[in-house]
Amino acid sequence: MRYRDVGDEQSEFAEFYETSRDPCLRAVTASVGDRQLAEDLVAEAFVRAWVAWRKVRRHPAPRAWVVRTALNNGVSLWRARRREIPLAGQDAAAPTNLNDGVDAALIGALRRLPARQREVITLRVLLDLDTDTTATVLRIAPGTVTAHLSRAVAALRRDLLPASTPADAMEGRQ
Amino acid sequence: MNDNDVLWKIRDSVSGVHMDVPVDAIVARGRARRRRRLSGLAGAGAAAGVALTLGLTGIMSSGNTSPPATSRGAQLAAFTVVSGPGGTSTLTLRKGKQYRLDPGALRQALAQHGIPALVTVGSMCDSTPEPAGLDQVLSTRRLADGAVVTTFNPAAMPAGSKLSIGYFPTHTKFALIEDGAPLTCSSNPGSSDGIVRRG
Repeated sequence: MRYRDVGDEQSEFAEFYETSRDPCLRAVTASVGDRQLAEDLVAEAFVRAWVAWRKVRRHPAPRAWVVRTALNNGVSLWRARRREIPLAGQDAAAPTNLNDGVDAALIGALRRLPARQREVITLRVLLDLDTDTTATVLRIAPGTVTAHLSRAVAALRRDLLPASTPADAMEGRQ
Repeated sequence: MNDNDVLWKIRDSVSGVHMDVPVDAIVARGRARRRRRLSGLAGAGAAAGVALTLGLTGIMSSGNTSPPATSRGAQLAAFTVVSGPGGTSTLTLRKGKQYRLDPGALRQALAQHGIPALVTVGSMCDSTPEPAGLDQVLSTRRLADGAVVTTFNPAAMPAGSKLSIGYFPTHTKFALIEDGAPLTCSSNPGSSDGIVRRG
């Protein structure tokens, strides 16, 4: 019976992983702005989710658990790396083009949002959580979620407007 | 631009992002970590249990493809594979104590991108005869942080060939090998100046 339980646990996790890996990676990519780093962080977060699966599966939003774990780990890594001293004589970094599939301008606009607004955008828009679940995960009131979302959308609209105005004008949109 | 337009743009901004890491790689790393946690709990027991704990750890290690954890905490995947234009794929291999390469996971990820490969850690395998054309199959560059970025063109691989990747702490070796031919494997890292290509 023990082996059967383990197998069920693994298949349940595998199903969660298959349906969640892309949304979680997109959410973390939008926050950190670097696809490679995001993939590392999300992979590590999913490993932790598997290790603690019995707890994570009962979380109100397991995807949000993965994303927050990835982002918290990203902060720890950043703190560790900023203390590293680069060695002299290393090759210069070659230009990479590994951020395919990412709209750099919009990601930049997202990253300029206050942290809480960005968290709300990540959970509500990229993970498609409802307002109540987002409020539970962030431990804030549902009305606060709505307010943050509204402010974030307004800020993004202002940020994106210069680029989109000509097209909107041609389409006769406000 | 109304609210829905903004929300659509946000979703669209990362819609091309896909996670390539197979679930087996995640589960394998998680299992290894669970085992280490269990063996650590056993080690924290009574002194009389020390001998038993060591025995268990030895048995578990023998079947564990992941190296032991360092005291520095989280370990990150040592590679990513992403699709590029024109049927190419780009592999990034990272070096450092915080990274652990799971050769089976890398082999599986490359296979999903149409690149049959033999991946070895701490050794390099060659075949006799050795197929020609490696330069048409891959191009490599090294980043300032020591990561090796390799772009593959699977269509250029000679029929019946595989890629051999030798992952060493200081450098990475690439060669083409003939599928099914006898292999000669060496743990001698040889050159340590970065990326080594043969063929």
